[in-house]
Amino acid sequence: MAYEAVTPVTGRSAENRYTTRKMAALPLAASAGEALVLGLTTGPVCLASCGPVVLPWMLVQPKGIGPHSRQLLLFLAARLAGYMVFAAAAWLVGAAIPRAWSGRSWAYGGIELLLAIALLVYAAGWPRPRRALSEPSPRLVRIGEAPRPRPSGAVALGFLTGINLCPPFLVAGVRAAQLAHLSGALFFFLCFFAGTAIWFLPFLSLGFLQRTPAVVTVARMVAVLLACWYGFSGASLLIERIING
Amino acid sequence: MASPSSAPARPPAFRSIGRSILLTLPIALWSLLMFTPSFRSGGRALSIGAVLVIVFMTSLFFLMMRTGETYRWRRIFFVALGFLFPVGFIASLIAERGTMSIPISRMVSGDTPFCFMVTPALILPAAFARTIVFPGSILPTASNPHSIAVMIGLWFAFTLVLGKAWCSYACFFGGMDEGFAAFGKRRRLHRFVTKYGSILRLIPWAILLCVVLLSAALFEPFYCMWLCPFKTVTEFPAVRDLETALQFGVFVTLFVGLVVVLPYLTKKRTQCGFFCPFGAFQSLFNKINLFDIRFDREKCFDCGLCQTSCPTVALSKESVREGKTLLNCMKCGACVDACKKDAAVWHLKGTPVAVKPERARLLFLYGAWALATMFGGSILANSIATMVHWLPLK
Ligand code: SF4
Ligand code: SF4
Repeated sequence: MAYEAVTPVTGRSAENRYTTRKMAALPLAASAGEALVLGLTTGPVCLASCGPVVLPWMLVQPKGIGPHSRQLLLFLAARLAGYMVFAAAAWLVGAAIPRAWSGRSWAYGGIELLLAIALLVYAAGWPRPRRALSEPSPRLVRIGEAPRPRPSGAVALGFLTGINLCPPFLVAGVRAAQLAHLSGALFFFLCFFAGTAIWFLPFLSLGFLQRTPAVVTVARMVAVLLACWYGFSGASLLIERIING
Repeated sequence: MASPSSAPARPPAFRSIGRSILLTLPIALWSLLMFTPSFRSGGRALSIGAVLVIVFMTSLFFLMMRTGETYRWRRIFFVALGFLFPVGFIASLIAERGTMSIPISRMVSGDTPFCFMVTPALILPAAFARTIVFPGSILPTASNPHSIAVMIGLWFAFTLVLGKAWCSYACFFGGMDEGFAAFGKRRRLHRFVTKYGSILRLIPWAILLCVVLLSAALFEPFYCMWLCPFKTVTEFPAVRDLETALQFGVFVTLFVGLVVVLPYLTKKRTQCGFFCPFGAFQSLFNKINLFDIRFDREKCFDCGLCQTSCPTVALSKESVREGKTLLNCMKCGACVDACKKDAAVWHLKGTPVAVKPERARLLFLYGAWALATMFGGSILANSIATMVHWLPLK
């Protein structure tokens, strides 16, 4: 593969510069097609890694396709924003990202910790101003009650899953980094996003599920449990990183 | 609310001895049929085990017929299964590999015996990636007869017939917390369970969702790797580093807390009712199952005895008023036995409630006990054989 030997020259290897020229000659449609196919084929992996975050969020929304579509759109838009940030970063840093970037586990750990915090905050309800620390959140007390849909929740969770470094995402990142122009890299990620986004449509079917206090409570419990897992996983990555230097 | 003590007690002999023997005959014959191969080829130890199990299962069924009670006799079988299963299992592990821990080489070669608990976690990876995320073999092999296909087949046959009754008549883990719950009389945390029961019984559903999602995300059986309390008394990944040590710590903590201490304090099956994700998954099959427990509203005087007696908080005031149990009912029969007005009844779906409930009970018990004898009975026979083998009984 062209990006096998990495000799950083302003963030890019000599071979990558050769590849870049080749890629620049590729018509836009071919690059779009490649990204779309990559997104479509790796979509189940994206679904598996984002599913734990999307599912509890969708389950606390009111019943109906309308609210679910809105929340999914918000989530996907925020995820797309995350993709664009990563695409730009990948292009700037170059193809050295997946193997040479020594800070990868910092990023993994940090993102997982942020996801844990976001899930906890959303599960417990946003903290209210001037509330004493010892006082439990009223939303946590009335745990079965459906919260009002907060767009910020979908945005935060969408963006964090958007920059989460899952394997297909890294593959797409490497490919985008080889492109000649930043706009090409962004376009590549846009098409990759479109391919993966199709896999999220089945979440809309949750809109048909009856919303009982039990369903909402279970969704919140799931969010808390997942937050514990992401928190543990993120913290152990960071601790391991600190110990191993 | 009327006082439960004012109600008449169930008569000690529900059926005559002759009729009870007659009704027990099919189960006696079935047991003989099931264990005939053990006599033919199993050796002395397994023959002793088989004889004891035939007598045990047939006697318990006879007592169910004679007294009209289900829960008490079923519990004896189920607790015996829960406590004897690890004996046979651990003994076979020690004899075969000298340790309870699973060496990495065994996992890589797919020699880990399959446990039905992992079933829900397999669904998403199997559907999307056509991969079974369990280090076992799909078809039985000489070194691993408990293959994925065999165990899922057994579980599915049982579940189709009996729904969540699996958790009262077949699961070889459930008897452990039921056994510890049976020690002592005082319910120390009774009020806590009553107050928070409606939340506690939702926890298994949340754990089920987490396990299914994380198993797909991490591509590993998350429950087995991190959450199974019964790893403590069966087998677990060998402790090699901090992570595996931590996993082992989680297993032991969950086992001590949920299977030993909390059942003793609450007199409830806390692991099964408030934790086990497979139990929640199993509840779904109550929807398509033939039998359930119903309440005759004309006889019920809202004494609450059924709710207090339910080991998994599968009854709420509202559900009893609607004449139904909640989805997580395990068909253990405790509420039916506890009801002094005979308002709680066994029921065959599609028939009128409280008309010939004993017939529904009989039909259910024949199915449940036949499968319990086949599945749990053979586990019991193997464990007894192991003990006979190991103990100096010559
Ligand atoms: S709830 Fe779980 S451990 Fe308990 S009996 Fe059912 S499957 Fe077994
Ligand atoms: S509702 Fe009755 S039969 Fe069902 S689990 Fe509770 S006590 Fe057992």
